[in-house]
Amino acid sequence: MKALVVAEYPRDALESLAAAEGMDRVLLLFGPAAGESSRIAGHAKTYSINSRDPEAVYNSLRRVYDDEKPDLVLGVVSKNVKDILSRIAGVYDLPMSTEVTEFKIEGGKVVYKRGILSERAYSVEEVDTPAIILVNPRIYKPLDESPGEPITLEPGASRVKSLGFERKQLSGVKLEEAEVVVGVGRGFKKKEDLKLAFELAELLGGQVGGSRPVAADFKWLPEDAWIGISGKRISPKLYIAIGISGAPQHMSAVLGSKVIVAVNKDKNAPIFKLSDYGVVADLYQFIPVLIKKIKERKGS
Amino acid sequence: MGDIIVLLKAALNPEMVRSKPDGSLDQDAIPLKLSDIDRNAVEEAAKLKGKLGGKIIGITVLTVGPLARREKDLRMAVQEALAKGVDEAIIVADDSITPGDQVQTANIIVEVIKKSGLKPDLILASEATIDETTGQIAGRVAAKLDMPYISFARSLDVVDGKVVAERDLEEDLEKVEAPLPVVVSVTQEINQPRPPTLIQIRRASRKPQKRLTAQDVKDALGVRRRILERRIISVKRKQEIIDGSSLEEIADKLLDILEREGVVKL
Ligand SMILES: Cc1cc2nc3c(=O)[nH]c(=O)nc-3n(C[C@H](O)[C@H](O)[C@H](O)COP(=O)(O)OP(=O)(O)OC[C@H]3O[C@@H](n4cnc5c(N)ncnc54)[C@H](O)[C@@H]3O)c2cc1C
Repeated sequence: MKALVVAEYPRDALESLAAAEGMDRVLLLFGPAAGESSRIAGHAKTYSINSRDPEAVYNSLRRVYDDEKPDLVLGVVSKNVKDILSRIAGVYDLPMSTEVTEFKIEGGKVVYKRGILSERAYSVEEVDTPAIILVNPRIYKPLDESPGEPITLEPGASRVKSLGFERKQLSGVKLEEAEVVVGVGRGFKKKEDLKLAFELAELLGGQVGGSRPVAADFKWLPEDAWIGISGKRISPKLYIAIGISGAPQHMSAVLGSKVIVAVNKDKNAPIFKLSDYGVVADLYQFIPVLIKKIKERKGS
Repeated sequence: MGDIIVLLKAALNPEMVRSKPDGSLDQDAIPLKLSDIDRNAVEEAAKLKGKLGGKIIGITVLTVGPLARREKDLRMAVQEALAKGVDEAIIVADDSITPGDQVQTANIIVEVIKKSGLKPDLILASEATIDETTGQIAGRVAAKLDMPYISFARSLDVVDGKVVAERDLEEDLEKVEAPLPVVVSVTQEINQPRPPTLIQIRRASRKPQKRLTAQDVKDALGVRRRILERRIISVKRKQEIIDGSSLEEIADKLLDILEREGVVKL
């Protein structure tokens, strides 16, 4: 059984190599981190491509795929890896599964489990090898580094020209580790109003996160404060969702919370069915009162 | 500009998840709807058509059956896309091709494009659908047609016959440029889809729709995936609404409960 691991980041490479334990392993590391491939090349025959252009990497990867003939192409979910491997899947008609949470290989078949329906349900599926499997991050404990000698590949041809990268503003908040998270949604009318949420979070020793529209679209919060299946998954003791409707893509990522409180002015908002405690109220009226009460209790 | 193809999916609606008493997913009882981010793809196609001309062709492949039960939802999803700006729709629906998988869906889309003699300048798709969320159909189609592919586009424009886009990556935004024809997958942030006007809704029912069956795409058929089991992830929450005669009273009750639960210390 041979696994070809594809990764853009060394950590993802070390997690995927761990997921491929017991198999013959070949690693292809691309992007700026390709230069660091010698740090991990001891685990596997390693190719490195110093390019982040998905088409260029795809074209080199095809040659590696043809030479190595892997049974499994394996990676950790990330955008460029998804992009590149979806092309490999297309050109070779391979089955490809993403956001996989568990898999095993038996008799030329891969059986895997993944969330479906915005993670309201899960599906157990089976495909024959060769197949492509992308596992969710942070499932496999990364291997330690193991220095070795990588094989450098030239990037393949590409018709897409990169005009440059702009670094996103990220705050470094670790919502995954917070004990209390205050979640803000589109119920807030403007960015300045989030100070209500920040004050509440501070009083409770927590952090502020938000729904996708608030973080990704309006950019009122940095993107690492984005909670949901396409953002962060959190499991605090207390999650207080304010002005959030309760879309499955948001709520599936907060299921690990011990207690969920929802504040929403619409008594029919779906979030009330997915919460422990609900307050049907206008957040602009209720949150200041809640803050006042907490201060009173803290003072006494 | 040449034509724009938009890939559309009538997807299982995750807001209407249903299960059987034993916890297995009752897929037949879950309705379909036009997948959320497909609306953004249609909106973007309409925007580019407004600027550059051309025709918008929607292609959809039904992946969950049975057809008799799905017919109405499928029709509604296509109708919605037509009302929002798609000019004509090609629908592939047949009980013998459900349940589908991504290998088959991509092969059927490519077969439809080739057989219908379509020569699109742009193929638009969403970054992911709401039911399977594997985000791979656009990449597969691009590779099969040997077209350049720009994934996760948060902005898109065509300038002097070239596509300029901004890719939304984990830690960066990447600006890229590519020649036409090109395949692009769009994110939810690329635009704010407008609800169709009454006139658009009325016109939609007169727009051409072509129905194809398995027979029409027989060279593209074959699924690789076997579904073994699907189960609901059950959420058991207390669902208790805190009532009171004033907001003060509600706030006090809530804080009492949270202290009792041991999740806040005041
Ligand atoms: C493939 C895919 C992936 C996605 N990934 C994510 C994800 O990772 N994370 C995510 O969050 N979303 C995600 N989404 C988007 C998701 O479907 C929802 O659109 C989004 O979560 C809605 O955000 P919201 O609850 O803030 O806004 P809305 O749905 O608009 O809800 C706003 C709520 O605020 C309430 N409200 C308004 N005013 C007040 C007030 N004054 N006081 C109290 N309440 C008020 C309203 O009643 C409403 O319920 C994804 C969608 C797709 C299709």
